[in-house]
Amino acid sequence: MTHNLEQEILGIVSTILEKKPEEMPLDAHLVRDAGASSMMALEILAALEKKYKIVIPEENLKDMTTINNIISMVEAAKKKR
Amino acid sequence: MNKMPLESEDIKKIIPQRVPFLMIDRVIEASPEKVVAIKNVSTNEPFFKGHFPDEPIMPGALMIEAMAQAGLVLYRQKFPNDKLLFLVSVKARFFEPVIPGDQLRIEAAPIKLLSKMGLVRTEILVSGKKVAEAEIAVASRDAKA
Repeated sequence: MTHNLEQEILGIVSTILEKKPEEMPLDAHLVRDAGASSMMALEILAALEKKYKIVIPEENLKDMTTINNIISMVEAAKKKR
Repeated sequence: MNKMPLESEDIKKIIPQRVPFLMIDRVIEASPEKVVAIKNVSTNEPFFKGHFPDEPIMPGALMIEAMAQAGLVLYRQKFPNDKLLFLVSVKARFFEPVIPGDQLRIEAAPIKLLSKMGLVRTEILVSGKKVAEAEIAVASRDAKA
Protein backbone atom coordinates (compact mmCIF):
# COMPACT_ATOMS: atom_id res chain seq x y z
CA MET A 1 0.00 0.00 0.00
CA THR A 2 2.65 2.48 1.08
CA HIS A 3 4.80 1.35 -1.79
CA ASN A 4 1.91 1.97 -4.17
CA LEU A 5 1.35 5.42 -2.73
CA GLU A 6 5.03 6.15 -3.16
CA GLN A 7 4.95 5.09 -6.80
CA GLU A 8 1.75 7.01 -7.49
CA ILE A 9 3.04 10.22 -5.98
CA LEU A 10 6.37 9.80 -7.73
CA GLY A 11 4.38 9.44 -10.97
CA ILE A 12 2.30 12.57 -10.33
CA VAL A 13 5.27 14.71 -9.37
CA SER A 14 7.53 13.53 -12.19
CA THR A 15 4.79 14.09 -14.79
CA ILE A 16 4.25 17.67 -13.64
CA LEU A 17 7.99 18.36 -13.49
CA GLU A 18 8.39 16.68 -16.89
CA LYS A 19 11.05 14.28 -15.57
CA LYS A 20 11.43 10.52 -15.72
CA PRO A 21 10.41 8.88 -12.41
CA GLU A 22 13.78 7.12 -12.23
CA GLU A 23 15.52 10.52 -12.32
CA MET A 24 13.67 11.61 -9.22
CA PRO A 25 15.21 10.50 -5.90
CA LEU A 26 12.58 10.57 -3.15
CA ASP A 27 14.71 12.85 -0.99
CA ALA A 28 15.84 15.26 -3.71
CA HIS A 29 14.91 18.88 -3.06
CA LEU A 30 12.23 19.64 -5.64
CA VAL A 31 13.10 23.31 -6.08
CA ARG A 32 16.86 23.15 -5.70
CA ASP A 33 17.57 19.80 -7.37
CA ALA A 34 14.62 19.18 -9.66
CA GLY A 35 13.92 22.70 -10.89
CA ALA A 36 10.36 22.94 -9.57
CA SER A 37 8.62 26.33 -9.40
CA SER A 38 5.84 27.50 -7.12
CA MET A 39 3.34 27.01 -9.92
CA MET A 40 4.44 23.41 -10.31
CA ALA A 41 3.95 23.01 -6.56
CA LEU A 42 0.43 24.34 -6.99
CA GLU A 43 -0.21 21.87 -9.82
CA ILE A 44 1.13 19.01 -7.69
CA LEU A 45 -1.07 20.09 -4.80
CA ALA A 46 -4.17 20.27 -7.04
CA ALA A 47 -3.41 16.86 -8.56
CA LEU A 48 -2.98 15.26 -5.11
CA GLU A 49 -6.22 16.79 -3.81
CA LYS A 50 -8.11 15.44 -6.79
CA LYS A 51 -6.56 11.98 -6.74
CA TYR A 52 -6.83 11.33 -3.01
CA LYS A 53 -9.91 13.48 -2.34
CA ILE A 54 -8.10 15.37 0.38
CA VAL A 55 -7.74 19.05 1.18
CA ILE A 56 -4.23 20.39 1.53
CA PRO A 57 -4.06 23.78 3.26
CA GLU A 58 -2.04 26.55 1.67
CA GLU A 59 0.45 26.56 4.60
CA ASN A 60 1.57 23.08 3.59
CA LEU A 61 2.86 24.29 0.26
CA LYS A 62 6.19 25.37 1.77
CA ASP A 63 6.71 21.90 3.30
CA MET A 64 6.36 20.14 -0.04
CA THR A 65 10.12 20.19 -0.56
CA THR A 66 10.81 16.52 -1.33
CA ILE A 67 8.74 13.59 -2.58
CA ASN A 68 9.19 11.93 0.82
CA ASN A 69 7.70 15.02 2.50
CA ILE A 70 4.79 14.99 0.08
CA ILE A 71 4.14 11.30 0.80
CA SER A 72 4.03 11.93 4.57
CA MET A 73 1.76 14.91 4.03
CA VAL A 74 -0.66 12.89 1.90
CA GLU A 75 -0.63 10.02 4.41
CA ALA A 76 -1.46 12.45 7.23
CA ALA A 77 -4.21 14.12 5.20
CA LYS A 78 -5.74 10.74 4.28
CA LYS A 79 -5.93 9.79 7.96
CA LYS A 80 -7.69 13.05 8.79
CA ARG A 81 -10.24 12.63 6.01
CA MET B 1 -22.02 39.24 -2.80
CA ASN B 2 -22.26 41.56 -5.77
CA LYS B 3 -25.57 42.26 -7.42
CA MET B 4 -25.91 40.34 -10.66
CA PRO B 5 -25.40 40.83 -13.49
CA LEU B 6 -22.19 42.86 -13.44
CA GLU B 7 -22.02 45.25 -16.37
CA SER B 8 -18.78 46.52 -17.87
CA GLU B 9 -18.38 49.39 -15.36
CA ASP B 10 -18.57 46.87 -12.50
CA ILE B 11 -16.23 44.46 -14.26
CA LYS B 12 -13.65 47.24 -14.65
CA LYS B 13 -13.56 47.55 -10.88
CA ILE B 14 -12.60 43.89 -10.59
CA ILE B 15 -10.11 43.37 -13.42
CA PRO B 16 -7.64 45.81 -15.02
CA GLN B 17 -8.24 45.02 -18.72
CA ARG B 18 -9.85 47.72 -20.87
CA VAL B 19 -11.31 48.02 -24.36
CA PRO B 20 -10.18 46.80 -26.82
CA PHE B 21 -8.75 44.14 -24.57
CA LEU B 22 -11.67 43.64 -22.25
CA MET B 23 -12.99 40.30 -23.45
CA ILE B 24 -16.05 39.97 -21.23
CA ASP B 25 -19.16 42.17 -21.50
CA ARG B 26 -21.16 41.00 -18.55
CA VAL B 27 -20.89 38.68 -15.56
CA ILE B 28 -24.12 36.84 -14.77
CA GLU B 29 -22.85 34.64 -11.95
CA ALA B 30 -19.95 35.20 -9.56
CA SER B 31 -18.93 33.31 -6.46
CA PRO B 32 -15.63 31.78 -5.33
CA GLU B 33 -16.98 28.48 -6.71
CA LYS B 34 -18.11 29.59 -10.16
CA VAL B 35 -18.11 32.53 -12.55
CA VAL B 36 -20.21 32.81 -15.69
CA ALA B 37 -19.39 35.67 -18.07
CA ILE B 38 -20.91 36.70 -21.38
CA LYS B 39 -19.17 38.13 -24.42
CA ASN B 40 -21.14 39.11 -27.48
CA VAL B 41 -18.90 38.79 -30.49
CA SER B 42 -19.88 41.57 -32.89
CA THR B 43 -18.99 42.10 -36.54
CA ASN B 44 -17.13 45.25 -35.48
CA GLU B 45 -14.52 43.53 -33.30
CA PRO B 46 -11.17 45.09 -34.29
CA PHE B 47 -9.49 41.71 -34.69
CA PHE B 48 -11.86 40.54 -37.42
CA LYS B 49 -10.39 43.11 -39.80
CA GLY B 50 -7.25 41.03 -40.10
CA HIS B 51 -8.32 37.60 -38.80
CA PHE B 52 -9.23 36.95 -41.52
CA PRO B 53 -10.13 39.57 -44.16
CA ASP B 54 -12.48 37.23 -46.02
CA GLU B 55 -13.41 34.89 -43.20
CA PRO B 56 -13.84 36.46 -39.75
CA ILE B 57 -12.84 34.02 -36.99
CA MET B 58 -12.12 35.00 -33.39
CA PRO B 59 -8.43 34.26 -32.67
CA GLY B 60 -7.93 31.37 -30.27
CA ALA B 61 -5.45 33.53 -28.35
CA LEU B 62 -8.27 35.97 -27.58
CA MET B 63 -10.58 33.15 -26.55
CA ILE B 64 -7.86 32.23 -24.05
CA GLU B 65 -7.80 35.88 -22.96
CA ALA B 66 -11.58 35.78 -22.41
CA MET B 67 -11.25 32.59 -20.34
CA ALA B 68 -8.34 34.08 -18.37
CA GLN B 69 -10.38 37.22 -17.61
CA ALA B 70 -13.30 35.13 -16.37
CA GLY B 71 -10.74 33.22 -14.29
CA LEU B 72 -9.47 36.50 -12.88
CA VAL B 73 -13.00 37.51 -11.89
CA LEU B 74 -13.25 34.14 -10.14
CA TYR B 75 -9.93 34.66 -8.35
CA ARG B 76 -11.03 38.12 -7.18
CA GLN B 77 -14.14 36.61 -5.57
CA LYS B 78 -11.84 34.89 -3.12
CA PHE B 79 -8.94 37.36 -3.00
CA PRO B 80 -10.39 40.79 -3.87
CA ASN B 81 -7.20 42.71 -3.08
CA ASP B 82 -4.43 40.63 -4.57
CA LYS B 83 -2.09 42.41 -6.95
CA LEU B 84 -2.04 42.08 -10.73
CA LEU B 85 -1.80 38.46 -11.74
CA PHE B 86 0.17 37.19 -14.69
CA LEU B 87 -0.49 34.19 -16.88
CA VAL B 88 1.76 31.31 -15.96
CA SER B 89 0.45 28.41 -17.98
CA VAL B 90 -2.38 27.55 -20.33
CA LYS B 91 -3.52 24.15 -21.48
CA ALA B 92 -6.24 24.75 -24.05
CA ARG B 93 -8.27 22.94 -26.64
CA PHE B 94 -10.51 24.42 -29.31
CA PHE B 95 -13.46 22.58 -30.78
CA GLU B 96 -15.35 25.02 -33.01
CA PRO B 97 -14.49 28.40 -34.58
CA VAL B 98 -16.15 31.51 -33.11
CA ILE B 99 -17.64 33.87 -35.69
CA PRO B 100 -19.40 37.28 -35.62
CA GLY B 101 -22.82 37.03 -33.97
CA ASP B 102 -21.83 34.30 -31.52
CA GLN B 103 -22.57 34.84 -27.85
CA LEU B 104 -19.85 33.34 -25.68
CA ARG B 105 -20.79 31.92 -22.32
CA ILE B 106 -17.49 31.75 -20.46
CA GLU B 107 -17.49 29.60 -17.34
CA ALA B 108 -14.70 29.43 -14.79
CA ALA B 109 -14.37 27.15 -11.77
CA PRO B 110 -11.49 26.81 -9.32
CA ILE B 111 -9.09 23.88 -9.28
CA LYS B 112 -7.13 25.59 -6.51
CA LEU B 113 -7.01 29.23 -5.50
CA LEU B 114 -4.23 30.33 -3.16
CA SER B 115 -3.13 33.80 -2.21
CA LYS B 116 -0.85 35.05 -5.01
CA MET B 117 -1.64 32.17 -7.36
CA GLY B 118 -4.46 30.17 -8.76
CA LEU B 119 -5.32 27.33 -11.08
CA VAL B 120 -8.72 27.46 -12.80
CA ARG B 121 -10.71 25.35 -15.22
CA THR B 122 -12.54 27.35 -17.85
CA GLU B 123 -14.66 26.75 -20.91
CA ILE B 124 -16.54 28.67 -23.57
CA LEU B 125 -19.98 27.62 -24.76
CA VAL B 126 -21.90 28.92 -27.76
CA SER B 127 -25.58 27.95 -27.87
CA GLY B 128 -24.93 25.29 -25.23
CA LYS B 129 -22.09 23.72 -27.19
CA LYS B 130 -18.53 23.74 -25.87
CA VAL B 131 -16.23 25.53 -28.31
CA ALA B 132 -13.10 25.78 -26.15
CA GLU B 133 -11.71 24.72 -22.81
CA ALA B 134 -8.59 25.61 -20.88
CA GLU B 135 -6.80 25.03 -17.64
CA ILE B 136 -5.21 28.34 -16.74
CA ALA B 137 -2.68 29.18 -14.04
CA VAL B 138 -2.07 32.74 -12.90
CA ALA B 139 0.29 34.14 -10.29
CA SER B 140 1.42 37.50 -9.00
CA ARG B 141 4.93 38.53 -9.81
CA ASP B 142 6.10 38.16 -6.24
CA ALA B 143 4.91 34.55 -5.91
CA LYS B 144 8.28 33.02 -5.06
CA ALA B 145 9.67 29.88 -6.65
